Amino acid sequence: MSEILQVTDLKKVYGKGGSLTRALDGVSLSLEAGEFVGVMGPSGSGKTTLLNCVSTIDRPAAGSIVIDGREIGRLKGKALARFRRERLGFIFQDCNLLDTLTAYENIALSLAIVRAPARTIDQQVREMAELLGISDCLAKYPYQMSGGQQQRCAAARAMVTRPALVLADEPTGALDSKSSQLLLDRLEALNRELGATILMVTHDAFTASCCRRVVFLQDGKLFLELHRGSDSRKVFFQKIIQVTAQMGGGMADVL
Amino acid sequence: MFSKLALRNVRRSFRDYGVYLLTLTFGVCLFYTFNSLDGQGAMVYLAKNGNPIVEAIMMIMDIFSVFVAAVLASLILYADRFLLRRRKRELGTYLLLGLSQGQVSRLLFLETGLVGLISLAAGLALGAAASSGMSALTLSMFEIDMSGMLALTFSPRAAGKTVLYFGIIFLLVMAFSGAQVSRAKLIDLIHGERKNEILRPRPLGVAVLQFVLGVLCLAAAYAILLLFGMALAIAVPFLCFPMLGLGTLGTLLIFRSLSGFVMKFVQGRPGLYFKDLNVFTLRQWIGKVHTTYLAQTVVCILLLLAIGITASSLGLNATLTAMTDGDAPFDITVQNQSGDTELIDFDALLRERGIDPEGALAWRCDALFYYNDEAVTGYENANTALRVSDYNALMARQGKPAYSGPLPSEYIVFGSQISTGNLGLDCTIIPDEMAEQLEPRRQVWSADYAGEIKGETEDRLLQLIWPLSERLSLRVETRLSIYADMMGSKILALFLGLYLGFTFLLAAAAVLALQQLSQGADNTRRYAILRRLGAEEKQLKRSATQQVALAFLLPLVLALVHSAVGMKAANDIIFSVGKVDSAASSLITAGVILVVYGGYFLATALACRRMARNA
Repeated sequence: MSEILQVTDLKKVYGKGGSLTRALDGVSLSLEAGEFVGVMGPSGSGKTTLLNCVSTIDRPAAGSIVIDGREIGRLKGKALARFRRERLGFIFQDCNLLDTLTAYENIALSLAIVRAPARTIDQQVREMAELLGISDCLAKYPYQMSGGQQQRCAAARAMVTRPALVLADEPTGALDSKSSQLLLDRLEALNRELGATILMVTHDAFTASCCRRVVFLQDGKLFLELHRGSDSRKVFFQKIIQVTAQMGGGMADVL
Repeated sequence: MFSKLALRNVRRSFRDYGVYLLTLTFGVCLFYTFNSLDGQGAMVYLAKNGNPIVEAIMMIMDIFSVFVAAVLASLILYADRFLLRRRKRELGTYLLLGLSQGQVSRLLFLETGLVGLISLAAGLALGAAASSGMSALTLSMFEIDMSGMLALTFSPRAAGKTVLYFGIIFLLVMAFSGAQVSRAKLIDLIHGERKNEILRPRPLGVAVLQFVLGVLCLAAAYAILLLFGMALAIAVPFLCFPMLGLGTLGTLLIFRSLSGFVMKFVQGRPGLYFKDLNVFTLRQWIGKVHTTYLAQTVVCILLLLAIGITASSLGLNATLTAMTDGDAPFDITVQNQSGDTELIDFDALLRERGIDPEGALAWRCDALFYYNDEAVTGYENANTALRVSDYNALMARQGKPAYSGPLPSEYIVFGSQISTGNLGLDCTIIPDEMAEQLEPRRQVWSADYAGEIKGETEDRLLQLIWPLSERLSLRVETRLSIYADMMGSKILALFLGLYLGFTFLLAAAAVLALQQLSQGADNTRRYAILRRLGAEEKQLKRSATQQVALAFLLPLVLALVHSAVGMKAANDIIFSVGKVDSAASSLITAGVILVVYGGYFLATALACRRMARNA
């Protein structure tokens, strides 16, 4: 399997002088094509910073990020925008659909931005909507849909351009458990059926348990890595809970 | 401490304040310029000649200034509300930090006062420049040599009045902002930025229907105006109200439905629909239509008023000038209506008083009108007869062709073409020798002054002629006096038109600019999403510009169509009175509108592009 994402010794520092905060302190990570990886860690552990750096929204202080064979630190302006729209897909916690557009248009817009041939857009949108189970609300505006539908619509928007890497930032953060389950189910299906490579940040153990591999961050450093292997989801979930209890946020010092 | 914070706030949010300051400054400038009319060249000239219309003009300007001040006050209050909305969060933070509402009110009070002072000073400076510019414009329009009056003048009276009116407006605004803060709930201030308007989906089919209906309404309104003519369409209530009603309704429907209509059209063309950010731009437009279509209708009507008033006042002005020139072909005409009893020897009279007729006058003609005797001339219709050599001399001076038809002429000349002022006679042209058989009736002496000291020459001539009127029935008309009479009406039409036109234009442009800016601020979040999806900067900026352009251009285009139809109808009236120079006046109008409206458009588009970039 080919390597999609290669993060090497990534560092990111906020502030300066005495009040220096190391958000990322030498993180290395590698994802192969078709992997579904979760990133966990308490608040302030640097998971969002990692995701922002990988998604080219933020620039690291040191280290390198190679996505699909390209060193993204060297990309600028137009080339960066082009890379972003052709190689990356995003799913966010607050789903970030454009509220003025219908679900259909939201999905179609990301195809329009990558300049897909206009004739094929309709078919691609409908196929992806079918996969995510939102075919019946394509004509609706975001606020007419439930949170779960919105989030699946956002997932469809991220996937429809067939990006090399999908980045998800707390995708279930704002959803009730049933909607979460449905979304995760669909993400797994996309990962299985389309071979999509997904990097998902979450602080929810249940959400993380659907990944094939979970990476734990603490204080900007890689703390531990868990492989699901042949475990059932329930067993994997228990393992994750144990690790989070060990880390325990700032409580680790007390225990 | 408060004044320091206020000063820093104003300096820091200069970009937010940009359009606000621009509007205030233009408003002050406009107000000052049209209230300092009495110090301007043409008016000084009129006043010097004791023309009573000066007082009338100043009084009318005073009355309309109150109206203009009311319009500007509403505009400034609107702008202030917009600014406050953008700063909700900041004000909430002040309250959260423990400042009392009174203190925050005081802070706003200081800020408003500071902005008011800056714009007053800038507006007055700009106004002084504008008023001398307008002085030059009016002077050149009346072709009067007054190089001495072109100096930059500053009218303390107008400045005082401006300060008074705007002082009251600013006090109102200060009270208003203070009240807003003391009424607001902290939770609303803190979360002020999160509230979204609720979008309601509207089927596009309905939009298409509304659009067609709107076009039909407009067509009906235009038909009434063009069919019955402007005079009738405005004077008769059962024509006027349906016309205005249909016009307004049509405009409203078109603004309400145009975006949906365009969307429906574009959706059928995937190549266009899915090109760049077209989907987004169109949806932005549709999404805002239901909050903006009313404002756009109002803006369209304001623009129509601005264009219509400015163009027709300039057009009327050109017409009046043409009429004046037709009325006054010579510098002076003296009619001796007692010509049947005594004739005046003007050359001798002038020499007697030490005026050399050859030196002081560039041209003179002493024409005699004879009683028409049907037995001699063969015509009974004309009441006088004029020798062909006299007639040709009068025509030649005006650069018109000499008479070349049969003599005596059947052709009857009306008096106003051959003298300054009305002659009240008509005549047949006869061969010179035939005059010996006729009795003289009226002596008409016309002259053009030599050199540049026309006013002085006229004064000397008039002093000389007036004593004669004790025994003779004289009528004296001069070009300068006719000009002075006409000038009053012209200045009134011109200034009032420009004053109101500018006010409406300013109001329309500022309302649109503020609306677009507040929407641009709401849009920053959307631009951030688009950027994450990989849209290029260029595309984002283009979309932002397109949105502003749609908001600015649509009302302008529709207003131009309205005013083209209106001007066509209005010209038909002016045409029946005299000739119209509508091409020139339309050009000037277009230029003025382009500068003011374009300035606002540019400022808004740039600010919105900046917001898209910083998103």
